[in-house]
Amino acid sequence: MPLPRLLRNTLITALVIAAFVISYRVTEADFPRLFRDLPKGRELLTAFLTPDVFTRDLETRTVSIVFPVPCGSASVEEVFPAEGPRLVPSVNCAAPLEKFTLQGFDLQPNSEVVIRWRLPDERTMTAIRTQTDANGYFSQEVQARPIQASVNGVASRLEVDTLTPVGGLKPSQALKDVLDNMFVTIFMALLSTTLATLIAAPLSFLAASNITRKGCFGTGVYYLFRSFFNLMRSYDPLVMATVFGFWLSFGPFPGFLALTVVTIASLGKLFSEAVENIDPGPVEALQATGAPPLHTVRYAVVPQIVPDFVSYIIYHWDINVRISTIIGFVGGGGIGYYLNLSINDFKWNQAGTAIWAIVIVVWAMDFLSAEVRKRLT
Amino acid sequence: MLRIQNVSKTYPNGTQALKNVSFDVADGEFLVIIGLSGSGKSTLLRCINRLIEPTEGKIIWDDVDITAASPAELRKIRRTIGMVFQQFNLVKRSSVLTNVLSGRLGYANPWTSLLGIWPQEDIAQAMQALERVGIAEKAHSRADALSGGQQQRVGIARALMQNPKLILADEPVASLDPVLSHSILQYLEQLNKEGITVICSLHFLDLVHRYATRVVALKDGVKVFEGSAKEIDRAKFKEIYGEEAQEVRAASL
Repeated sequence: MPLPRLLRNTLITALVIAAFVISYRVTEADFPRLFRDLPKGRELLTAFLTPDVFTRDLETRTVSIVFPVPCGSASVEEVFPAEGPRLVPSVNCAAPLEKFTLQGFDLQPNSEVVIRWRLPDERTMTAIRTQTDANGYFSQEVQARPIQASVNGVASRLEVDTLTPVGGLKPSQALKDVLDNMFVTIFMALLSTTLATLIAAPLSFLAASNITRKGCFGTGVYYLFRSFFNLMRSYDPLVMATVFGFWLSFGPFPGFLALTVVTIASLGKLFSEAVENIDPGPVEALQATGAPPLHTVRYAVVPQIVPDFVSYIIYHWDINVRISTIIGFVGGGGIGYYLNLSINDFKWNQAGTAIWAIVIVVWAMDFLSAEVRKRLT
Repeated sequence: MLRIQNVSKTYPNGTQALKNVSFDVADGEFLVIIGLSGSGKSTLLRCINRLIEPTEGKIIWDDVDITAASPAELRKIRRTIGMVFQQFNLVKRSSVLTNVLSGRLGYANPWTSLLGIWPQEDIAQAMQALERVGIAEKAHSRADALSGGQQQRVGIARALMQNPKLILADEPVASLDPVLSHSILQYLEQLNKEGITVICSLHFLDLVHRYATRVVALKDGVKVFEGSAKEIDRAKFKEIYGEEAQEVRAASL
């Protein structure tokens, strides 16, 4: 029957093509945009690649001049110095919305400059930021605004701060915060893994067919625990964290609970499979000696599963550090929460610090768990 | 006295491993069970201590019906029946001493032994058992660090911890280099001479001639021979092992 087969194949091909067209549409795939929007991406990437790790103390020096807006609105009795750190505007006064050039001489070299207005009522307004060169010189266009107008013969002043880094490098606030939060994440993962192990290890024996599945009652227990683990495993940790988050308000505790529940299910399943994969010989041998059931498990099963259990526990701790980062994003506390805050505040360098910390910790834990597993046989 | 009366075993998949097998074993015998692989030797041995439940029939040991025993009674009966396995069935990651001590679990204090604490006399008995089989110096090695022959000797030491009146040995030398067969069977023979009844399944006929006081042969789950080893002539041999079988001697390997 060559015709129906050809028809069938054509139909299948058409369906497959249609499926791909639909998937392309729903994902709104626009690959050229990757290149068109490159400048935006580059900015982010640069920030991530220059994480906020170290900082230096800043020494601030301030110089100021009086600057009436508009001209003649206040008397100027100040004498402008001719040398030393000084500010020189292109005009000595300006009408509102007039632009002029402000120059600074002999200020701190290579420093960040903050130019601001001090209004007659002592409020301040940052006008613009710039940078001094190696000679302590800067030149910057400034605009006078109506708000800077004199009040009752008192003129606004132009103030310039120079911020000079002094002293050695020290850890930045971002680094300290990242380390603190990473600490929370690692230990949250440790505690949830430990608690989950304590619960999952005994239950896993009940879900192991070679231990429990004997007789009607045993088979019932086996299926009960097996489905319990499977059911709990089918919930994503993120969903679980959101549920606990609404229940207990957000913070590390609901994140920890979500992680624990998911880990119990996952470890329970892995443990019970480890128990099912033991060599049945020693169990048979101890049954033959007349040993009670619990003792048979203790002497014939437990020694066989210790390496598997330990390696699963360490592996899961490693997984949990990663998951708790994600859980942090929905308010679970720890490094994920910090990363989420940094991104929402557009503090890209700070986010970069957090991302680097996550990469390093995940790598280190992966390495560690591989080493431990290698040594266990 | 062990009486096996009309024992049959049908597995859930329908395989009939034993068909109406009956024989008696007097105290102090070294009974050898022979037969091809799959003839029901292992099933028969495991029916005696009910590691496998017989489907029909009775097994009576010193006037006690093993087949009717409750779980608690069964454990008491099993304490007096040692078992040695083809694959040794040691816990590989545990020490030799722990493996031997675990033979004592049927008698030990349930609480302390669960914690891994053993009284001095049990440890002394375990060391004595290891000395008997000549590997006392390996007591603290991991079981899987020992050679096959040494592991089987640990298996015998574990059975000795039960102070058994009967030892069931399921192909105790089949996993070993044939030249080591005698080294293991001599220990069983020694125990037999001290009054322990031994029921042992074996492959090689020359070993059967050397050790058996009596022989039972199984073929497809049916007892086809019972008598002394000397009575197994060429015709009997063909009947037990089939027309194509040829005798192999362990010593000639």
